[in-house]
Amino acid sequence: MTIGLNHCLLLSAALFAIGLYGVLSKRNIIAVLMGVELMLNAVNINFVAFNRFTPVSDLTGQLMAVFAITVGVAEVAIGVALAYRIYNDRQTINVDELDNMKG
Amino acid sequence: MSEMLGTLVFYAVAFVILATALGVVTSKNLVHSALLMTACFIGVGVLFIWLSADFLGAMEFMLYSGGVAILVVMGVMLTKRQDGPPGNPFNHRKITALGLVILFVLVMSTVIVSTPVPSGSYVSADTVDALADMMLNKYILAFEIAATLLLAALVGAIILAKGDGEA
Repeated sequence: MTIGLNHCLLLSAALFAIGLYGVLSKRNIIAVLMGVELMLNAVNINFVAFNRFTPVSDLTGQLMAVFAITVGVAEVAIGVALAYRIYNDRQTINVDELDNMKG
Repeated sequence: MSEMLGTLVFYAVAFVILATALGVVTSKNLVHSALLMTACFIGVGVLFIWLSADFLGAMEFMLYSGGVAILVVMGVMLTKRQDGPPGNPFNHRKITALGLVILFVLVMSTVIVSTPVPSGSYVSADTVDALADMMLNKYILAFEIAATLLLAALVGAIILAKGDGEA
């Protein structure tokens, strides 16, 4: 049996679901960031799989994945800087306690 | 024979990706989560190479399993509590989240299985040349915007981490 588009899409859906579970159920802000990274990777797998297994004529899907990776890396840099700042100001990175915008 | 080998490689890589991703979510120690996340990114990079996207695979190795992993480990170390290893607890919405995620998987797999797959495939002989050509001709505006975004993110991260007036 050959591996086709469906196998890659199912794998990517499962990875996205695991990341979503991490985002929804974790208490630590860094763990939530890790979940977001897993979800971004699932999206990239989708881009590349569609580019590989559908009748297209250029690498647009892979180029979109390049831009998605760029945005993901910028996002994690900002996220870690924010977590560090919040920890410095409030001595906690529990997202359940961070319900007050006025420090 | 080589087709069977390809199938085998796909299932092995898929197993590694899903097992390490589950480990990231369920591990009790945040440092173990970060290491498993690196392994997951390496698996995704291998999958990209398997999908004949070799440039993206190299990019995934360098940026995600290199850069992002180090950033996250730094974040874990900088925000650690004094007592014991950095924990990774669940919040009180664990069951609701699990239900939502199972619903998501059911809906997505139904959609994927019931949608007809377009036949055909595309393999580029040289992904680096093709990507560079597209990036600097047709998609030059998106390329410049991405460069500006990276600059803004870099400056913003420094300002956020050092604080107003200190930077």
